[in-house]
Parts: sequence; structure tokens; C-alpha cells
Amino acid sequence: MVSLAESNAQDRQSASSRAKAVKRFSTSDAVFKNVTRSAAFAVLAVLAGVAISLVAGAWLAFQTFGLGFLITESWNPVTEKFGALAPIYGTVVTSLIAMLIAVPVGLGIAIFLTESCPRPLRRPIGIAVELLAGIPSIIYGIWGLFVFAPFLQHTLQPFLIATFGHVPVLSSLFAGPPYGIGVLTAGLILAIMVLPFISSIARDVFTTVPPVLKESAYGLGMTTWEVTRKIVLPYTRVAVLGGVMLALGRALGETMAVTFVIGNAHRITPSLLAPGTTISASIANEFTEATGDLYTSALFALGLVLFVITFIVLAIARLMLAQIKRRAGE
Amino acid sequence: MNFQSVSEPVARQDATGRPAPRISGQPKIELKDVSFFYGKSQAIKDIRMTLPERAVTAFIGPSGCGKSTLLRMFNRIYEIYPNQRAEGEILLDGENILQKSQDLNLLRARVGMVFQKPTPFPMSIYENIAFGIRLYEKLGRTEMDERVEKALRRAALWEEVKDKLSTSGLGLSGGQQQRLCIARTVAVRPEVILLDEPCSALDPISTAKIEELIDELKEEYTIAIVTHNMQQAARVSDLTAFMYLGELIEFDETNKIFTSPNNPKTEEYITGRFG
Repeated sequence: MVSLAESNAQDRQSASSRAKAVKRFSTSDAVFKNVTRSAAFAVLAVLAGVAISLVAGAWLAFQTFGLGFLITESWNPVTEKFGALAPIYGTVVTSLIAMLIAVPVGLGIAIFLTESCPRPLRRPIGIAVELLAGIPSIIYGIWGLFVFAPFLQHTLQPFLIATFGHVPVLSSLFAGPPYGIGVLTAGLILAIMVLPFISSIARDVFTTVPPVLKESAYGLGMTTWEVTRKIVLPYTRVAVLGGVMLALGRALGETMAVTFVIGNAHRITPSLLAPGTTISASIANEFTEATGDLYTSALFALGLVLFVITFIVLAIARLMLAQIKRRAGE
Repeated sequence: MNFQSVSEPVARQDATGRPAPRISGQPKIELKDVSFFYGKSQAIKDIRMTLPERAVTAFIGPSGCGKSTLLRMFNRIYEIYPNQRAEGEILLDGENILQKSQDLNLLRARVGMVFQKPTPFPMSIYENIAFGIRLYEKLGRTEMDERVEKALRRAALWEEVKDKLSTSGLGLSGGQQQRLCIARTVAVRPEVILLDEPCSALDPISTAKIEELIDELKEEYTIAIVTHNMQQAARVSDLTAFMYLGELIEFDETNKIFTSPNNPKTEEYITGRFG
């Protein structure tokens, strides 16, 4: 038997050692907290650094051309007249084409995978779609230039010209010789590249629809199509839109594949078959030849424009995703 | 149509071999050796019973006894999940609804279901009702308005929502949402209504309203209700089925089940000794 006094002493001792342990924990806790915090702040610092150096680099160009830089089409390194309109136009149009194709196809894949795909096929198809996202963009570029563009040149483009060449409005969209490379080809490659983003995000949000909601819709006698149209899509609308915006952000900034297949011509033509350029393709193509300060600064200014555009798109995406989270939390 | 089974009086043998309850109504749903499987595990074991028309049949039993599973077979809602499988025959007006050729959308129009949690669709109150009607009928604006109003009145919800029909169904209280779901189910004019613990997420006042509603609805519909609440079963049902471990232990008039059950297991359950 341990006497009462003895056990009290023991208690006191264990209490003091516990206090020591707690102190030790609190020190390591503080270290841990500071390390993680500085990692987080480092990201902010990098972001700020990028933004500041972009602004600093672009300063000369904006000083020279003013805001007219954004709405001038000509890009002439010889006379040092630079305008960003052609690359901005190319960026927006290629991304639009990509979205027009990738959104319906991507949602279709997601709907098929969540609603009607036979179970044994679900995983293989899902994995295949995700593998599509893992292919490096340079491979899309080289494949686009040597395989896809010649293919389009001989099949799709002559068909488009023959079909829409005499239709008003559309004829100007599909005018000119089939080069193979050009704005349309770039848009199609982008569509393939962003497709996995859209379908995997959409698939994930479709699975958040409460089973009871789907059950009660089926319980009223709705078909799979009706349940998807009237229940699943409205319920996940905002999150799907957020996913689409993320994909758009990726399409806007994509460089390598686009540079390969867009033709790199600094001009705006209504025809989608004609070569064009995008912001990132211009920068990637020309940074080695940018000799003068003003030329370099103009490329920086292009970079700044892209930074702002993608920032806005991603901010909208975040806002939308936050909104659905709030709604789901209710 | 199988005339024989319709004209037969409902004095069959239940699973335990004793005579099944004598009730006046025609048989609406007949189960013949019905089993159900989740993958390989059997959740329902060879159940035979008959649900009479225009009566409320309650299913009671401890959690996991298969009562919800059984209910989910009546409209084959389990079909939307893979690896779930039913065996045996379920006759609705004499026709086997478990056969492959059965049109599921049609079946679900005839057999409506209300779930445990209120599940208003993400649309306006009006649309929640009109949407289901539109699946089956093409109605003009005024006719549709009438049908929506009628359905909402039927579910004792009209007075509370008539001024905000265009607002979201998600903005209603839990009890109102559940009545909206009942209205939605009633609106497509089913013959049978399945209620899967419709009050488990509701407060006592909403529960009372829904129980009152069930009492009125049985004038027109055949109702099957699963409930965990034995007082509720006693209050709203004409017949009660006690299930345990996937088997139908006892099926009889509600009064009989709650006053002098035949099976000792039933008695233990209703007196609260297990479950």
C-alpha cells in the first residue's frame, strides 16, 4: 500500500512533469504555426512579386502607348509600334471555341458517368478522361501540328468552306484557304485540353446531389433525362459554372499547344480558318527576339493583360463555388 | 387483369400460417414470396401479404428489419441503384410489377412515394407541383392553376402558401416542405401512396397535420407507411405489419396488433422491450 502522503507527492510530481510536457508542446506548436504561416505568406509574396514585376516591366509600354495599347491591332517590331488587340482577340476567340465544344461534351460525359453508365465501364472511362488531363501540353502541340492540323486541312476545313462559304455571315467566319493551322485548330486543341477539367468537376458536383432528391424525382416517374435536366443541372448549376470558369482560365493561359497550331499572325481576321495569335503564344514566340526595351516592355504588357484577364475569370469562379458551398451548408 | 385474385376475399394465410386480417377492401397490392437482395445479402425473406385498397397499412419493426426496403419495392425505386435485386411477385391490381416489361415511369405514376426527409425540387412552389403533372398531361394555364391549387389544398398547404407560389420550395419550413412533397405526389393522381417515415424529421405539430392528412387521403388512395413511431402506427393505420430481420412476423388489424398480438416477438417490440 502506498501511503496517502506518498501518493500526494507522486501526484504533485506527475503534475509538474505534465506542465513541462505541455510547455514543450506549446513551443513546438508555436514553431509549427509560424512555419506554416510563413509558407502561406511566401505564396502571397510571390504573387505580389509577379504582379509588381509585370507592372514594372510593362510600365514603358503603357507610358509610350497609353491605354491605346489595348485597342491597337498593329504589332510592328521594326517601327516599334505595338498594340495588344490581335493577341487579346485571338485569346478570347480560341477560348470561346474551346468552351463552346468542351462544355456540352464535358457535361455529357459527366452525366453519362453519373447517371447511366453501366458500373463496370464507369471507372475505365473516368480514368481515361482524367488521363487526358495528364498529357503535357507540348504533346498536344506536336500532335496538333503534325497530325491534327493536316487532318483538319484535308477534311473538316474544306467541308466548312464548302458548306458555309455561301451562307451570309457564316461565310466570313469560314473564309479563305484551309491552312490547317489557325484559330479554329487552336480552339479545337484547347477544347480537348480543357474537356477533362469540365467533366471531372461536373462529375464530382453531380454526385453531391442528394440521393433522396433524385429518388423523389424518379419516384414521380421522371426519366433519366428529365431528372438530369430538371433536378441535377439546376441543383448543381453554380458549381458547374465555377468548373467551367476554371477551365476557361486554363484555356486563356494555355501556351505551348496553341503556339504550335495557331500560326502566329498578329492580325484580326473574321475567318476562323486564318492564322492568328494569342497573348501567351505571342510572348512564347517573341521573347527571344525582343531586342529593344520597348519591345520587351510590350511583351510584359501583354503578360499583364493576361494576368488580369485570368485573375478576373478565376475570381468569378471562386465566387460562384463559394456561393454553392454556402447554399449547400443551409 | 386477374379477376380471380380480385374477387377472392382477403382471407389469406400470412407468413406465420395464421389467417390474415379480414378487411373489407379489395386487394390492391399482393406480395407473393417476395425477397430482396443488396448484392449478396438478403434483406427481405419470402414475404407474403396483401394490402387492401383504400386503407392504411403500417410497417413497423426495429431499424434494419427491411420495412423501408419492402416499401421501396412497390415502385421499384431501388432500380436506380446497381446490385439491388428483387425476387418473387408483387401484384398491383393483379399484374406483376416486378416483371421486366413493366414500364417504370408508368409504375411510379401509379405508385407515388414520399420520403423520410422533405425533398422539394430546386424550383418554385408552383413548379414543384406543376412539374410532375406536366410529365403526364398537357394542361392549359388555368387548368394547371386549378390542379396545383387542388393538390395544395389536398395536402392542407394552400392557405399557407397561396400568396407565395412563385417563391422557392426550399424556403418553406420542414413540415410545409413535407406537405409540399405530399401535394406533389398527390398531384399526379397515383393509386397508391408510399410514405417512408414521413414524419421522422418533423416537429409534433407538423406531424399531427400530416397524420390528419393521411386519414383523409385514405378515402381515395391505398397507403403504405413505414414508421418508427408506434403511436403513429396505432393512430393512422388500419392494418399493421410487424417485421423483424427481413421477415414478416405478424400482420393484422392495427387494434389487434397493439392489444393482443399473437407472436411474443411482436408483443416484446410494441411494449418496448427491444428495438
